[in-house]
Amino acid sequence: MNGRGEMLALLGVLVGLVAAFSLATERFFSLATFRTIANQVPEGVIVAVGLTFVLMIAGIDLSVGSVLGLASAVLGLAILRLGGGLLLGGLLAVLTGLACGALNGLLTVRFAVPSFIVTLGMLEAARGATYLITRSQTQYVGARVETLAEGAVLGLSVPFLAAVGLVALGQFVLSRTVFGRYAVAIGANEEAVRLSGIDPRPVKVAVFMLAGALAGLAGIVNTARLGAADPNAGIGFELQAIAAVVVGGTSLMGGRGSVVGSFLGVLVIAVLASGLAQAGAQEPTKRLVTGVVIAGAAIADALRRRRWSEK
Amino acid sequence: MTKMRGPYLCVSLGLGLLLLACGTARAPEKPRVALVMKSLANEFFKTMEDGARAHQQAHPADYDLLATGIKDEQDVAGQARLVEQMIAQGVSAIVIAPADSQALVSACKKAQEAGIVVVNIDNKLDAGVLAERKAQVPFVGPDNRKGARAVGAYLARRLKKGDKVAILEGLPNAFNGVERKRGFEEALEAAGIVVAASQSAGWETGKANQVAAALLTEIPDLEALLCANDSMALGAVAARKAAGRSGVRVVGFDNIGAVRELVKDGRILATADQHADRLAVYGIEYALEMLKTGGRPGDRETPVDLITAETLE
Repeated sequence: MNGRGEMLALLGVLVGLVAAFSLATERFFSLATFRTIANQVPEGVIVAVGLTFVLMIAGIDLSVGSVLGLASAVLGLAILRLGGGLLLGGLLAVLTGLACGALNGLLTVRFAVPSFIVTLGMLEAARGATYLITRSQTQYVGARVETLAEGAVLGLSVPFLAAVGLVALGQFVLSRTVFGRYAVAIGANEEAVRLSGIDPRPVKVAVFMLAGALAGLAGIVNTARLGAADPNAGIGFELQAIAAVVVGGTSLMGGRGSVVGSFLGVLVIAVLASGLAQAGAQEPTKRLVTGVVIAGAAIADALRRRRWSEK
Repeated sequence: MTKMRGPYLCVSLGLGLLLLACGTARAPEKPRVALVMKSLANEFFKTMEDGARAHQQAHPADYDLLATGIKDEQDVAGQARLVEQMIAQGVSAIVIAPADSQALVSACKKAQEAGIVVVNIDNKLDAGVLAERKAQVPFVGPDNRKGARAVGAYLARRLKKGDKVAILEGLPNAFNGVERKRGFEEALEAAGIVVAASQSAGWETGKANQVAAALLTEIPDLEALLCANDSMALGAVAARKAAGRSGVRVVGFDNIGAVRELVKDGRILATADQHADRLAVYGIEYALEMLKTGGRPGDRETPVDLITAETLE
């Protein structure tokens, strides 16, 4: 594996984007911009960590955006309707995510159905449940959740620092623990894993549970940052997160990738969004440029890998 | 073979039940009004639909209500299909909030040709396309531009000439979003205020938060953010707080429940209420009136009110 080379290439893309936007706009290159980006990426990073594991086992989870929305709604309702605190609400939100993930994993494994279709079902079901329990209404939670996002160390928000910590932990689990190595092995060659006497199914279910719980956690961070639980929160988020993870060098075919790479992938997408908004780009331009960069990064990665394997 | 029979049996049984249900659902003389909505995912449309249902329950003798909607506002083809289904069902009137102001014209015309009364609510059908198809569909609804102009003017009174502001737009293809943006612009222009940036934030809180944060950084002397709906205003409020720019004023549109607290304490300076719970009802009442009189009346404007801390007292 040439992890270091990949990281360097990604950092290069990131620096290139920052340089381009700094030239194109008046105030992109400023502490305020970087602080804003750091403030906005935590939920993307948290979800990307979970997705990295899912992609690693050659699976996919399309439901993370909907699960984020559902967890956010559960948190809002727990605080506003049940009069519960942040702790109870947060716990319920993560459990909601965990339950969705468990269902995704169990259905995929039990019926040997592609995770693509199972999680597509969950994408619809979780969003429907969100509209149902919130009656499609945005809930303003305010100070009761905002405290979570307010704390700061050296100008960096607590959720951001927690997300960075999670990246480190995720990378450790992926590359240094039995669970992580099984996950990689399943993605590389599931049959070989089975033939060596290891049952891949519990590992797969656990991976989906992890992704679900992290989507729930991201729902909490999202609500804390916005002070409100929007029933439409996280729509289209799954595609953004998958793009970030793939840009970060994790293969859609499984067995290859890293959590740190996913983190950089999220940063690339976030810098792009922030920079385009500051440059005053309109919606069509934003989507066009974002699409080109995602495809470009994936192609560059594939070409580099081919060159490596030829050597 | 035996294994395969189960699913087929289920499907045919289900179809049979469905046919039976359709057969028995035929009502006698009462007019049947179909309400064809946009996205039921949106709080605004949900409120509209709930208002219509409540109205029907209060007037059960006057009409029967068939309320349907599409998954999201982009599902234009799905909505056209719904209209065709309603024609096939032989309803007396269709009250429609078109997902697209041009694409739904032909479906509405087809309904009229089938002898169905059609009333247009919420999103006005395109006048050009209507003329081209030689169709006339009365519009019953609020003037979004007028509402936005009132919100913009209220804000402008607190700013001075030459101040810079930014607009957060809805989705680029939504007629009401475009109208709100124009209303904001008209009010600002009249007061000599500069629109330094105008970007879409797709009606969403999270997206608006991201765009607003970027604009606050890029325009250090920004005085206000005008948002085409309240969900985006919530995102703008969060971005303002994160940036520590408490002097920046935020206005919205729709007066959803979630902003009440913020309008009261001034964190959102103003919003507009177009009485979502009454919008579909206005259309239904109009359709019933048309059924009774058989006339072809013109458009009818419904009220939009400016909401501020004072009006919420």
